Amino acid sequence: MTGFTIPPLTTDRLILRAPRQSDFEAYAAFRASPRARFVGGPYDRAQSYQQLAALIGQWALRGYGRWMVADRTSDTPLGVVGIYHPEDWPEPEVAWSVFGTGEGRGIAHEAARAARTYAYDILGMSALISMVDPANTRSVNLAKRLGATYERDFQHPSYGTMYIWRHPSPGAPS
Amino acid sequence: MTVTLSQTPVLETERLMLRAIDPQDLEPAIAFLSSDRAGYVGGGANKDQGHCWRIVASLIGHWVLRGTGPFTLMEKSSGKPLGSVGPFYPQGRPERELSWTIWSPEAEGSGFAFEAVMAIREHVYHDLGWETAVSYIDPSNTRSIALARRLGGVLDPDAPREDANDLVFRHPKPGDV
Repeated sequence: MTGFTIPPLTTDRLILRAPRQSDFEAYAAFRASPRARFVGGPYDRAQSYQQLAALIGQWALRGYGRWMVADRTSDTPLGVVGIYHPEDWPEPEVAWSVFGTGEGRGIAHEAARAARTYAYDILGMSALISMVDPANTRSVNLAKRLGATYERDFQHPSYGTMYIWRHPSPGAPS
Repeated sequence: MTVTLSQTPVLETERLMLRAIDPQDLEPAIAFLSSDRAGYVGGGANKDQGHCWRIVASLIGHWVLRGTGPFTLMEKSSGKPLGSVGPFYPQGRPERELSWTIWSPEAEGSGFAFEAVMAIREHVYHDLGWETAVSYIDPSNTRSIALARRLGGVLDPDAPREDANDLVFRHPKPGDV
């Protein structure tokens, strides 16, 4: 293999790092829960393991991807945030999922800002979207809080209707 | 703590170079996975490109999570990728598996999978310290059953399996190969 790298990022409270085997139970619990209904779930353990592996594989295929968001002190996994861009997505997306243990603490917001800054400043991306299930009011609110605006609907063959939210351009106030 | 993956092993046989699955395999792997020849491994002509893309991504990630994973068979004479063989051990699988797929009908029937599995089995026993290996095979997959037998595999009716319908072939142990 030619090799690839998953560089860690840190914020005030969080570390965004490569997913690893020891994250599986926390990830699978989230993916099996009703909370996963907005991301095509719930999923069984085999599906969740394949997806955890695919999170890593996207870094090889695209050169960017999603991190496991963990508590900076304890390293407890709290969610998955980063730049999601599978083959059937219209554009690279700032994506966020927070596990039950991490909800309500502004973790997705803190991590998504770091991921967006990384995408603009380090990767040199010039535009970013977030794809949100319109029924997912928490995520809709976060998209707004990040300064994103509704742009259009997107129909996915498996996941149904998602709203595309457009983030502020690099350098624009948000 | 930067995660990198670059020191994956390269194995060589008479006709093949075997290396970790890699982004340059994306197109031929998706072509295989989105055909009915991939029905035994989660693909099929009814599967969309995004589904197949996610499978390839997960196979690359398997190398990071498990420290090993599927090797792509590169034909030395042509430089073409012919298929994928190797360790497959997702969470929930009762035992570590040696799996195989040949990506095009043209590459079937020439013993490439046999040649690759023999080399990779030696690798997992000798270099990775596996003490046993199985292959889970659908009972209607006659080609794979024939290959498992040719590799010295014997049916293990008592071995646990995720899909009760699967056959489990147990490979010869390291000293018996």
